[in-house]
Amino acid sequence: MSTDETRLAVRIAKIAKSYGPTVALDSVSIDLRPGEVHALLGENGAGKSTLVKILSGVVKPDSGSMSILGSPYRPHGIVDARTQGVATAFQELSLLPNLSIAENLMLPKMPRGMLGLASHRTAMASAGRILMDYGLAHFDPDTPVGVLSLSDRQRLEIVRAFTHAAKLLILDEPTAALADVEWLFELVRRQKSLQTAILYISHRLGEVRTLCSRATILRNGRSIGTVELSGASDANIFEMMVGRSAREIINTPPSAGGVAPVALGVKGLSGGILNDVSFNVRQGEIVGIAALEGQGQRDLFRTLIGLTKTNGGTVEIDGVRAQIASPGAALRFGNGLAYLPEDRKSEGILAGLTTASNMVLPIISRVARGGIVWPAGERRAAHETAAVVDLQQRYLHFKIDELSGGNQQKALLARVIMTGARTLLLFDPTRGVDVGTKQSIYEAIRKFAADGGSVLFYSSELPELVHLAHRCIVLYGGRIFAEYQGDAIDEQTIVGALIGHARGAKTEVAA
Amino acid sequence: MNAHKDMAMPFEASSDRRGRQKLDRETVNTLVVFGLSIVLIVCSRFISPALGSWSQVLTVLILASFLIILSFGQGLVILIGGLDLSIPALITLGGVLTTTWIGTGDAGVWYMLPAILVVCAMVGAVSGIGIVWLKVPPFIMTMATSIVVASVALGYTSGTPRGGSPSSLLWLMKSWFLGVPVVIYFTLAFILFGWLLQNFTALGRRLRALGTNRNAALIAGVGVNRLELVPYAISAACAGFVGMMLVGYSNGATLRMGDSYMLPSIAAVVIGGSSILGGSGTFIGTVGGAILLTTLGTVISAIGLSEGWRTIIEGAIIVGALLVLRGEFLTHVGNRMLTRGK
Repeated sequence: MSTDETRLAVRIAKIAKSYGPTVALDSVSIDLRPGEVHALLGENGAGKSTLVKILSGVVKPDSGSMSILGSPYRPHGIVDARTQGVATAFQELSLLPNLSIAENLMLPKMPRGMLGLASHRTAMASAGRILMDYGLAHFDPDTPVGVLSLSDRQRLEIVRAFTHAAKLLILDEPTAALADVEWLFELVRRQKSLQTAILYISHRLGEVRTLCSRATILRNGRSIGTVELSGASDANIFEMMVGRSAREIINTPPSAGGVAPVALGVKGLSGGILNDVSFNVRQGEIVGIAALEGQGQRDLFRTLIGLTKTNGGTVEIDGVRAQIASPGAALRFGNGLAYLPEDRKSEGILAGLTTASNMVLPIISRVARGGIVWPAGERRAAHETAAVVDLQQRYLHFKIDELSGGNQQKALLARVIMTGARTLLLFDPTRGVDVGTKQSIYEAIRKFAADGGSVLFYSSELPELVHLAHRCIVLYGGRIFAEYQGDAIDEQTIVGALIGHARGAKTEVAA
Repeated sequence: MNAHKDMAMPFEASSDRRGRQKLDRETVNTLVVFGLSIVLIVCSRFISPALGSWSQVLTVLILASFLIILSFGQGLVILIGGLDLSIPALITLGGVLTTTWIGTGDAGVWYMLPAILVVCAMVGAVSGIGIVWLKVPPFIMTMATSIVVASVALGYTSGTPRGGSPSSLLWLMKSWFLGVPVVIYFTLAFILFGWLLQNFTALGRRLRALGTNRNAALIAGVGVNRLELVPYAISAACAGFVGMMLVGYSNGATLRMGDSYMLPSIAAVVIGGSSILGGSGTFIGTVGGAILLTTLGTVISAIGLSEGWRTIIEGAIIVGALLVLRGEFLTHVGNRMLTRGK
């Protein structure tokens, strides 16, 4: 074993992980030095969270190796990882809401009392000491975690990770719910002096530059490179995140007529974390929403379709004020508003029913002849739209769960088109589908807009926004942060806006 | 040659899993259940010469007709992932209202019978409202309804229901046409109606969507909340109607007339191939389950076992049938049937 290797705190070499046909991590290698704060950067879906899960023992890699201080590291689970000195503060907090702060901090090893039973008093005392030590003396260790605010829970999640992390500490978006970041920075600096290696994951470049010395960039499941942050400009980093290869030549859609009537008018809309959002979608226009995870895009779509309660603001469909209470009501209002959901498994397909039945469900009463729905009638009704989304006719009588994900997605897109609604709300319409299917879906969306329909879509993939949208709205923290039109929609510009850097051509937000 | 070409089609390169046409699990299940019933009837001849005769088969079918109609309602409730435990109480309600409101003779029977069914359906809808809007679990809500209805029936009749059967119900249950009891024609018509409703109408399709995935159905524009009341109302009306049939069959009502039907109504649906979790099943399968269960009950009672042993054997056979008829095994059988056919 070379001395170089032993000097490293953590070595991650050529880690790969696939879920079925989906490659989450292709090959990731990172070296962390003791006492180093190392940033992990990458777009949504680049593989950051899979890497975090592998490091913290939640999932096992398919291949590759990891070592800590020169000895191999193969965790069997979160607890095993913790006992080996690796702890994680997860982005989706992993605290147990019905247990107290003390129990959450102590688990899985509750201090034992005289009879070998868990000792409440000792647990309270040691939890109190920990809280004091990490500057949270105002927390009562007996409080159930469920009553804490989101930011307090995040603090607790972070403190718990710190207490277990002797060798490697992983902080996954630790500031997502924190208002006061100085508290965290102070703790990080202190831990650093204890020679713990820290992997810091954040979308906020400013933070990363304050805390970290080096950064590794992930793209499409690969580690693209590690840079000294002092020597890399923001532009360099954006370019590594987005990659040159992402600039494929796909035909840009024709620009929309700026004077067409407004199909969907949103004014001051609030709901969930969405806060005072206003925009218009005109007839024949495709408007894209760009946002990092959890910036209010989900609430925007769900509010429009009546799944989340509106806290204020108005929605007009074709100039008529609408108060939508359910997706069914949205379909029937005026020229209709149809929604393609985010997760096709849990919100989209009806497993066990045929593809044709799945497609015609919203318009089933129109398909019935004399009250009876014949399977052949369903297929006839689905036939034409199946061709529009490039779905083969023979799939129509298959059960939909027997189709590949891409074909399921085509069928679901056909479903919203078939409703006859003139405004489509598409939430990540190409999530997890292959390149060919993506092109078919783009074609169908463009054709719909060219025929005068209007489309509002969210995408987690920047190239998709660039190639498909006439206009792109960036959401940040529940508000509209920037808006770009036509040629100004550029991947690097949007990446900047996504993390709160307005660069390049920022147009005034339309009222 | 052409046939071969058609066979090869599904093998074409694709990531889709449907390698070849196979018999539907539901179809195989239905065939197996009907097959078992026939085998059971034929074999019962060896037990007692009186069994297996034409008149015996007709008796079994008359007895099965009660269960068939009940398990249609129960089947719709199970299709959406619920459970209706109020069936016995609503049978009693239907029966008691028929003997007391109409009684012997036929005065006003043409509007009284539908009115009674509407009352029953409304009781079912109340269960549905509790389930949908108060979020009470289905089996607790329907059991609560059941207790209330049974108590009301007890109070209303002071313990002994008066009156007898309207003559039209006697006609339905007792008269024959072309050598077959009228009620069997009626049940056949009901089966056709139920099968179409569950599998080939917009309502049936929406119910199945609701049972498969409530969230996805909601997003596809189905008004899930109001829809969820419908099966409970239909089930209650079916139970009320069976109460009327039983009045015609035994010329009177008792407060415990529905008691023996609750578990069979669930068992018939599940043996018929529906998932107890909802989202799958056909009414034809359920009909097979109801006939199989009734045949079984008749054969066991003909052997002359005591009531206790009878219940034990019935229970064991139901559990056995469920294990055999479950998923994997049937897919296996289906595929083998197909391979042999080639």
